[in-house]
Amino acid sequence: MPAAAMPKHKFSIDMTCEGCSSLVTHVLSKLGGVQFETDLLNKKVCIDSEHSADTLLATLKKNGNSISYLGEK
Amino acid sequence: TQVTVVNIEGMTCNSCVQSIEEVISRKPGVKSICVSLVNHNGTIKYDPLLTCPEDLKSAIEDMGFDASLSA
Ligand SMILES: [Cu+2]
Ligand SMILES: [Cu+2]
Repeated sequence: MPAAAMPKHKFSIDMTCEGCSSLVTHVLSKLGGVQFETDLLNKKVCIDSEHSADTLLATLKKNGNSISYLGEK
Repeated sequence: TQVTVVNIEGMTCNSCVQSIEEVISRKPGVKSICVSLVNHNGTIKYDPLLTCPEDLKSAIEDMGFDASLSA
């Protein structure tokens, strides 16, 4: 699937510092097949991925931070 | 019940501490966990029939921290 066709998912994650956002980076890179941007200031992560929102949510939950799905974009 | 102390590197703030406590306490066999940001470690009480220190260590590593078992 071309990158442009991949759905974009938005999540809100409670990140308080660089350390927290690097944990998010860690679990997502480990999952693979994702392109993402973490926005520490707004406590949001935008993910381009062919994985389902459920898979992404489960992956992000590994970090335990309070997190919620904001929807597809 | 047994107790193990896991050294944890890479915690930067209190929410890291909370994340680890939350995730690890959800694991089967874990009775309690107390993580210290200052001491870079976590003290975990667990049921040896259900889990082991190696298991707990890799669960913490899975989250993105560097963990090691103290001798
Ligand atoms: Cu942080
Ligand atoms: Cu933190």
